[in-house]
Amino acid sequence: MSNAKERKHAKKMRNQPTNVTLSSGFMADRGTKHYNGGGKSFQAQKQELLPGTSRPRHSKMIHHSPVDPDVNEQSSSKIMFKKKGGWKAGPEGTSQEIPKYITASTFAQARAAEISAMLKAVTQKSSNSLVFQTLPRHMRRRAMSHNVKRLPRRLQEIAQKEAEKAVHQKKEHSKNKCHRARRCHKNRVLEFNRRQKKNIWLETHIWHAKRFHMVKKWGYCLGERPTVKSHRACYRAMTNRCLLQDLSYYCCLELKGKEEEILKALSPMCSIDTGLTFAAVHYLSGKRQGSVILYRANKYPREMLGPVTFIWKPEWTPGHASESRQLWIWLHPTLKQDILEEIKAACQCMEPIKSTVCTPESLLTPSQEKSQTELPDERIGKKRKRKDDGENAKPVKKVIGDGTRDPHQPYSWVSPATGVIISDLTMEMNRLRLIGPLSHSILTEALKAASVHTEGEDTEKTPHHWWIETCKNPDSVSLHHKQEAIFELLGGITSPAEIPAGTILGLTVGDPRINLPQKRSRVLPNPEKCQDNEKVRQLLLEGVPVDCAHSFIWNQAICKNVTENKISDQDLNRKRSELLVPGSQLVLGPRESKIPILLIQQPGRVTGDDRRGWGSGWDVLLPKGWGMAFWIPFIYRGARVGGLKEAVVHSQYKRSPDVPGDFPDCPAGVLFAEEQANGLLEKYKRRPPAKRPNYVKLGTLAPFCYPWEQLTQEWESRVQAQEKSPVASSPHGEESNLKREKVPCTPTPEKSDQLSDELGMSLSSPSEPREVMDTERPAQMGTEWVTGPAATSSLLCVLR
Amino acid sequence: MAENREPRGAVEAELDPVEYTLRKRLPHRLPRRPNDIYVNMKTDFKAQLARCQKLLDGGARGQNSCNEIYIHGLGLAINRAINIALQLQAGSFGSLQVAANTSTVELVDELEPETDTREPLTRIRNNSAIHIRVFRVTPK
Repeated sequence: MSNAKERKHAKKMRNQPTNVTLSSGFMADRGTKHYNGGGKSFQAQKQELLPGTSRPRHSKMIHHSPVDPDVNEQSSSKIMFKKKGGWKAGPEGTSQEIPKYITASTFAQARAAEISAMLKAVTQKSSNSLVFQTLPRHMRRRAMSHNVKRLPRRLQEIAQKEAEKAVHQKKEHSKNKCHRARRCHKNRVLEFNRRQKKNIWLETHIWHAKRFHMVKKWGYCLGERPTVKSHRACYRAMTNRCLLQDLSYYCCLELKGKEEEILKALSPMCSIDTGLTFAAVHYLSGKRQGSVILYRANKYPREMLGPVTFIWKPEWTPGHASESRQLWIWLHPTLKQDILEEIKAACQCMEPIKSTVCTPESLLTPSQEKSQTELPDERIGKKRKRKDDGENAKPVKKVIGDGTRDPHQPYSWVSPATGVIISDLTMEMNRLRLIGPLSHSILTEALKAASVHTEGEDTEKTPHHWWIETCKNPDSVSLHHKQEAIFELLGGITSPAEIPAGTILGLTVGDPRINLPQKRSRVLPNPEKCQDNEKVRQLLLEGVPVDCAHSFIWNQAICKNVTENKISDQDLNRKRSELLVPGSQLVLGPRESKIPILLIQQPGRVTGDDRRGWGSGWDVLLPKGWGMAFWIPFIYRGARVGGLKEAVVHSQYKRSPDVPGDFPDCPAGVLFAEEQANGLLEKYKRRPPAKRPNYVKLGTLAPFCYPWEQLTQEWESRVQAQEKSPVASSPHGEESNLKREKVPCTPTPEKSDQLSDELGMSLSSPSEPREVMDTERPAQMGTEWVTGPAATSSLLCVLR
Repeated sequence: MAENREPRGAVEAELDPVEYTLRKRLPHRLPRRPNDIYVNMKTDFKAQLARCQKLLDGGARGQNSCNEIYIHGLGLAINRAINIALQLQAGSFGSLQVAANTSTVELVDELEPETDTREPLTRIRNNSAIHIRVFRVTPK
């Protein structure tokens, strides 16, 4: 008998009473293949959990003389033992006849030993894992090894017992704090402010940091992907439920001025060939969100800058013909520098508006001179030295919004000529994106429209004066009710894709933290809300009427007010604890914050026949400071959170190009391609030479980057060569030749020397509008004619 | 469906991205368990049939069997829905019965403008749909 076998046998038998033997292969040699029918029925009695399928197997076994040890082990392992181990009662080697009947009490007495053994084994944990390793992954917490409160209540006792075991005892700690704790900053908020200086943190940063792999990109610290393995889960969330993302890193540029001036400045930057521009009727009225590709002024099709989305502020009273309009342009942070410069040049807005840097607070703390950044008055966050803790009563606040920007740089420019004011509103607003069919349910459950302020409560001093003022105006009140009605209708619509693309709905909501559910649960679509009536039909056909797209978030002063008067979480919780009936709804009445938000519908997939509308969702725009207040209620209603990786997957499945990776001709795309190539090259070099893929042999010309310029140059030269042969065909002739897969033809370059990277870029850039156009016009198969400026006029038809 | 257009966009041609009302809304009495099956022409017939069968039989360990399921089909899928229902009935040895309702579903086409001056239009088409209820009856 081998040693290993002995040990294995001993391990199996260690919890058994002595009269039990193992009929595993170990003992099978001894020829004990008999079965005690009593033992078998004991097993059958004991386990109610035994699935029905094994019972017939049991009865089969009784008739079989060669006992199958595997089945035996398997069936008894189902009883309650974790180890495999069949047994048969009775002395080994004896064959007994199967009794025809048994008496329960004598039987149980006889089996008492086994019963006690079983009970003992149940209480003893036989596996090597600690109790918190048995928890599912999403319930494990980092600190639970030394802090039992982090575990669910039922496990806390066991964990405490385990912790007291000598094995897990740590050394005695000194009374003073440990090395690390001593170095920890006294004031956590100050520390966070300091850390944010290099890479800006979003408002939900700490939430993400606990659950995501973070990455520092584009000047922000963003969550790349969740730490749990959730690629499929996120895909399923996007398809069937709801995925939530924090897109607050998207930059917003605001243009204020007369409509004609703005349009005049912006129209050279975009071209009608790539789609509808800023001036399209339904975008101009503020009804819908538009998207456009920007180029340098008059340089289309070359020198693309990148794709942007934009919203016009709807005119408050349509007949009013108010001259001043507001336009918000949303762009990816990589594109911001170039586009900002270009817009400034286009609007001739070179003069920066000096932010009023009056710093009365800084006078109080002269020691602050040492610190570089003296934050001007309008910033929320303030930085103070540790020593000043005792002096000033005002607590340090977290840096949000404007505080994240360099105070010395201007962020507002005015043009004396045209009267257009450009402001950079980066990080002034939060943008949360919900994707998936359940986003409607989550939105309608989490957000409740603000209650209208009635006259009687006027006497109380509330900080929400703006709302009181609004409520006095009957037009505003009726508008609010209309918006509320439309919002309620949303709950009954199954999927965001049913609503016209880019619909905008403005709303004023109450504080979503007030009706936060106790437990995190998943919201289900409510079937009662699915009414098939006229209003829903109108909503689906025509979208939201223009006046309902109005929202107070356009008003900077109101946003600031709302941010400053936010009740902190601590105060809110304190109020909750003071409730008479714990757990009931907290009612704040007029003191409740009213937050203006903007809801923008994102169309999902629009091209192709398959799965139209996949990945549609809503974007929620909030004023700064309220990010976490809206984030947690959405999560508590069952939204799953995705990071940058999920965003890439989303645009990939949606068949839309992803900034900046899919726009290789804009400067941001070039940078991205370079970084990607570097990264891939590093990875390649890290492998030992013998294990690297041999790209020469594989025939890969460019393993790390896409050589777009080379490609387009080769096309050009090929076409030139073709052109030199007989006919320099006219453009119309070319039109008929073109098929889908064919490579483009007939540029007529007048100076072929000018074929530099620039032209290469320009050749590829019409392909970009093609790509983007494809998302808007699925069935277009026509040619794309580009007539650039006279010098290098090239008629190109680049097809995909 | 692209209409030909002149290079310079002179003609205000409108393209036709068809936007269906995506998931046709489930009937009012939406059961909590997924008793509804929507039939389409893209998925394999056998797979759809197997799915209906599994719902009626009780599926994997977790699912209890449903006593009735609703099969919905739109347009060309009406044929397929009927086919599936009849096959279920045929394979059930008389324990299943079918009851069918038809309805009209409005489909929305969105016409997006090509030029800046036009507004987007919506067009409504009607299409027929069938809702078949397949339910188990206890044989007397």
